Amino acid sequence: MVNTLAPETTERAPHPTRAAAGALGGRGRARRRQAVVAYLFLAPALLFFAVFLALPLGFALLLSMSRWTGFDLGDIDPVGLDNFTGLFADGSTFLTPILTNTLLFALGTVALALAGSLLVATCIDKLRFQGLWRTLYFLPIVTTVVAVGNVWKYMYEPGGLVNGVLNALGLGSVAFLQDPDTALPAVVVVQAWASVGSAILVLTAGLKSIPGSYYEAAALDGAGPGTVFLRITLPLLRPALLFVCVTQFLTGLQSFALIIVMTKGGPGDATDVAALEMYRQAFSHGDWGTASAAAFVLFTVVLAITLAQLWIFRRKGEDA
Amino acid sequence: MNRRRFPWLSYLLVATGAVLTVVPFLDMVMTSFKGPGEAGTLPYRFLPRAFDPSNYRAAVDQLDLPLLFRNSVVATALITGSVLLTSSLAGYALAKLRFPGRDFVFRLVLSTMMFPPFLFFVPHFLILVHWPLAGGNDLLGRGGAGLTVSIVALAMPFLVNGFGIFLTRQFMIAIPDEVLEAARIDGAGEFAVWWRIVVPQTKPVVVTLGLLTFVDAWNEYIWALLVSTADPDVMTLPVGIQLLQDHVDPTRTMPVVMAGLVLSVLPVLILFLLLQKHYIRGVMLSGLK
Repeated sequence: MVNTLAPETTERAPHPTRAAAGALGGRGRARRRQAVVAYLFLAPALLFFAVFLALPLGFALLLSMSRWTGFDLGDIDPVGLDNFTGLFADGSTFLTPILTNTLLFALGTVALALAGSLLVATCIDKLRFQGLWRTLYFLPIVTTVVAVGNVWKYMYEPGGLVNGVLNALGLGSVAFLQDPDTALPAVVVVQAWASVGSAILVLTAGLKSIPGSYYEAAALDGAGPGTVFLRITLPLLRPALLFVCVTQFLTGLQSFALIIVMTKGGPGDATDVAALEMYRQAFSHGDWGTASAAAFVLFTVVLAITLAQLWIFRRKGEDA
Repeated sequence: MNRRRFPWLSYLLVATGAVLTVVPFLDMVMTSFKGPGEAGTLPYRFLPRAFDPSNYRAAVDQLDLPLLFRNSVVATALITGSVLLTSSLAGYALAKLRFPGRDFVFRLVLSTMMFPPFLFFVPHFLILVHWPLAGGNDLLGRGGAGLTVSIVALAMPFLVNGFGIFLTRQFMIAIPDEVLEAARIDGAGEFAVWWRIVVPQTKPVVVTLGLLTFVDAWNEYIWALLVSTADPDVMTLPVGIQLLQDHVDPTRTMPVVMAGLVLSVLPVLILFLLLQKHYIRGVMLSGLK
C-alpha cells in the first residue's frame, strides 16, 4: 500500500522548544526523562526502519551501480551507471515492450476501474440496501491474488466460463491468455475487477459530501440529469476522483502478483511489466545490479506520474 | 436527484455489476465440487453434475493443507501482533509525549509510506540471507542461508508499518491530556499510563488496523513466494496452492486447486463479513489497495 495521499490532519503538536525552555530543576529532569521514555517507546519502530528501510535503500542504490553474483559481500564490483545504460541500450526489452506494457496495464486498469466505479457509485447512491451492494463489490478486495488470478485464468480457458458465455451467444472461443494480442487486456480486466470495490467506496463517500441543496437548486432551474451530472456531480467529485486516479495508477504501475499468477509475463513478453522484470532479473537470473537499477527507474516513473497527476488536477481546479 | 421514480436503470446497472463481481466466486465454488474430467472440458457447464466433496479431501492431502495453514497462521499472527504493538507504542510517543525531534520522527514515519514495496524485495531478501549469526552464517553474514530458512522470515519485512503508526497517533491525539496528567500525578509511569489508560481507549483503531493488517498478511504472495523458494517448509497457503496449480495437469487438478482456494479464502471472507464496518473504515482511511 502506498499512502502518500492519506487524509492529512492539521493538528499540531505543542512545540518542542517549549519543553527545552523549562529545562531547569525538577521540571527539566522530568522533561529529560520523558524524552528518554519517548525514544524507548519509539525504539522498536525506529530500529525496524533502520534495518528494513534505510539499509535496504542504501543497499539497493549500491547494487544498482554494481555487478554482483550474490554470494560474498566482498565481491560487489562497482560498474557506475552501466546497469542503467544497459536497460536503455539497443536490443534491451526494458523500454519496449516492458515499460510500455506497464503503462498500458496501469492506464487500462485506471480507465476501467474509474468508469465502472463512477457508474456504480452514482447508481448505488439512489438505491436501498447500499451496505449490501457495497459488501458484494468489496469481496475481491479481501481475496488473495492467488485465488483471483487462478479463478480468472480458469474462466478464460477454452472450457471456462467466459468462453462458455461467448459460445452460448453464438461467438467463437478466444484463447485470451495464450494470444499475445488479448493477453494484456485480459489481465487488465481482472486487475480492474479486483480494485473497483475500493474505488466505489471512495466515490460513494465523495457523493455523500455533496450538499443536497445544490441538486434542489438545479432542479428548480430546470436542469436535466445530464447537466446536473456534468455541472454539479463531476466538479464536486474531483477530490475523490483524483484520489482514485492517483492511487489506482500507483497500484497499477507497481503490481505484478496478478501477472505472475496468471501469465508469468507471457505469452512471449506480452504481459511482462517492469516490476515483474525486476523480480525476474534478481531471482531467476541472479542479476541483482540490473534488478536494482530497474527498480529505481520504475520508482522514478511512478513518482513523475503521480506528481504530474496532482499538478494537472490542481491546475484544472484553478481554472474552474 | 430524482428519488421519486423507482430507479430501474440504476438497479439494473448495480445488479449487473454485482453479478459480475460474484460470479467468479461462484464459479470457484462450483468447480471445487466437480468430478474428474468435468472441469475445463467442452461444453462449459456452470453446475457440477454431482456435488462431489472428494476434492476437499484431496486438497488436504495433496497440498499438505495443515502445514500451509500453520505457516499462514503463524506469519499472520506475528505480523498483526507486532504491527499493533509497535504502532501503539510509537503512536503514543508521537501523540502524547514531548521530546526533542518529535516533528522529525513524525515526518520520517510519514515518508516511509512513500516508498513502493517493489524497491525492497531484492534488498530485503539479501539482508535476510546475510543476517549475521543465523542459519549457519558467521558474524559477517557469510556461509549459510541466514534467516531465510526460518518461519520468522515470512513476517520480518512487515513487522512495523508506517501507516499503522500514523493511524494510531491520529486516534490517540483525541484522548484528553488531563486524564493522562491525572494518572501521572497519581504516580503512574509512562508505561502504566500507556497500558492502563491509552490502550483501552484505542480499541476501535486496534480493530481497524488489526483487520487491515490481518487481511494483507494472510493474502501476501510475492514475499512468501521468495522465502518459500529458499525453504519449502515455510510455504504459506497462497504459495502452496499456486505451486500445485503450476505443476500438475490443470484439467485434472483444477477442482482440487479450487477446493484449496475456497478453504484458504474462507477465513478472511468470514472475518470480513463479520467485521466489515471496521474494515471499510480502514480502507477509507488508508487509501486504496
